[in-house]
Amino acid sequence: MIDIGANFVSELYKSLGMFIPETVLVVTFVVAIIMDLIFRKYKNIAAFTVLAGFFVTGYTLFACNSSGYAFSQTIAINPFSQFFKFIILLTSIIIVIISFLSKELYAENRKVGEYYSMIAGMTFGMFLICSSTNLILIYLALETMSLSSYVLAGYTKEVKRSSEASLKYVIFGAISSGIMIYGISIIFGLTGSFDLLAINAKIATGNLSIAPLLVSGIMILAGIGYKISAAPFHFWTPDVYEGAPITITAYLSVASKAAGFAVLIRFVLLAFATPISQTQPVWQVFAGIDWKLVLAILSVLTMTLGNLSAIWQTNIKRLLAYSSIAHAGYMLMGLVIMTSAGVLAILVYFFMYMLMNLGAFYIVMLIANKTGSEEMDDYIGIGYRAPILAGCMVVFLLSLTGIPPTAGFIGKLYLFMAVIDARWIWLAVIGVLNSVVSLFYYVKVMRNMFIRGTDKTEEPLQFSRVSIVIALILAGANIYFGLWFEPIVRWVNECVKSLF
Amino acid sequence: MLTDFGIILIFFIVGMVFVAAGLITNMILRPSHPNKVKQSTYECGEEAIGSPWILFNARFYLIALAFLIFEVELLLLFPWAVVFKELGWFAFIAMLIFAFILLLGLFYDWAKGYLDWDKPEPIIPKMKDLVIWNKD
Repeated sequence: MIDIGANFVSELYKSLGMFIPETVLVVTFVVAIIMDLIFRKYKNIAAFTVLAGFFVTGYTLFACNSSGYAFSQTIAINPFSQFFKFIILLTSIIIVIISFLSKELYAENRKVGEYYSMIAGMTFGMFLICSSTNLILIYLALETMSLSSYVLAGYTKEVKRSSEASLKYVIFGAISSGIMIYGISIIFGLTGSFDLLAINAKIATGNLSIAPLLVSGIMILAGIGYKISAAPFHFWTPDVYEGAPITITAYLSVASKAAGFAVLIRFVLLAFATPISQTQPVWQVFAGIDWKLVLAILSVLTMTLGNLSAIWQTNIKRLLAYSSIAHAGYMLMGLVIMTSAGVLAILVYFFMYMLMNLGAFYIVMLIANKTGSEEMDDYIGIGYRAPILAGCMVVFLLSLTGIPPTAGFIGKLYLFMAVIDARWIWLAVIGVLNSVVSLFYYVKVMRNMFIRGTDKTEEPLQFSRVSIVIALILAGANIYFGLWFEPIVRWVNECVKSLF
Repeated sequence: MLTDFGIILIFFIVGMVFVAAGLITNMILRPSHPNKVKQSTYECGEEAIGSPWILFNARFYLIALAFLIFEVELLLLFPWAVVFKELGWFAFIAMLIFAFILLLGLFYDWAKGYLDWDKPEPIIPKMKDLVIWNKD
């Protein structure tokens, strides 16, 4: 019997106090819709409302950093979830800002009110995922996020490719969330609980039969793997990334992946593993199923498939889609080893990945604004027509490959160091080989921009000063954090400690 | 040893066998003389025109969605009403916010013109365009 009355209400008040950033996001979402309805003359009123809301959210996120459980143990507020919320919020803010510059979004006097309010709704869903520790809430939060992202993927609805992307996204999404909730129901049948910690305690007793546990675990991994586009659940990624508006492609490839990784790390470590001791930063999987091996297979499949498919792409959005699949594979390596160094590496990698991937998509958007094309062949000679932007693109591509003075190098360094420290040498070797393969297709873009097409004399492309400044800031951040990464690592270290 | 689910499984199997046995015996024993009138669709004595595979107006879905939201709201209001006295003002305000958000959805529909069934310039579809089959 749940206690109803004064205690219940006071506990709700306490929970709401810890839930302020999410509450602000919901209010932002509602206010943005109202503003859009009332002030119809001002096209971007919703965008400014959402932007203001995001800044308030960011303030509350850091102002009230109490940690603990809220809403009858379904939500965990701690530095780990705070880190991912920070990544998601920063991505959302950058996406809203670069959306102002998108030509395809504002084409034909399109109404964009819903676009911005949907971004606020999606951010809310992702915030919820980052802190939920209850399987039902995880499912609900995933759906909250997915519903907005389906709409956003098809926002330029008169473009056939975009509608197709949206429909594919919905169908794949419905199937994978169906599989996931079936897995959740089996786990509930086995352990009698939706709470990750309670499930962990039940599995720790060792009385459960192995087969249903394995099946349900893989089913839930399929649902989450869909979100982080891990092979073999990645089939939607290239088509959706190609069809969706570029801003949304960038958003999906960073923010929605961050939310997926947050829930994946939490789910695997909280439900299926246990820290060896309070002092040792290593997790141990329960006897019976070797989850490390399952994750290792997923990781190797994901990065190999992503990299090998990216080689053949002729559309730059598809190329970046496959590259983002490959990056998900690298990051999965950090989870395979199940040490705090591994989780730390994932978090550091994510911060760097956000900078480089957003930058690369941003340049693709700016160039598509002018040339109207995302084909690799249309990048021939861009290095001479738009030298500053092409220079920034080189920084982003080098960062994605992981070449030293850039942020991507630091991410990869920590990741491979953690994997080698944990004695998974073969995994590290496959990872390094994959990085070498990735160099090939990133260089192909650079070659098209600078080496080919020098004989062509086409008009130089003109870009507004604001758009160039944003590109320079993003490129600068890539180099800055490649050299001065220590504060990030120190912060992430604090976040990882909260997982114990 | 049968668990509770084992009994259900037996029910399930027996039920399927029971239905299948009836159908198969019928199929073996009955006379079979099909003709055109017998095989035609019976629709309240009316003669069927065209095919049921026509395109529905998408506005039906919008109206259905708006209806569904308030239907679900009603469902959630009931448990609230039961414990209303114990929870007091907190629950009252929470429910007001909830109802306000739903109402906002209705206003949104209204302002965007999704509730007007008659659009200013209706395009009246022709029957022969709606039917996918039998186009000739």
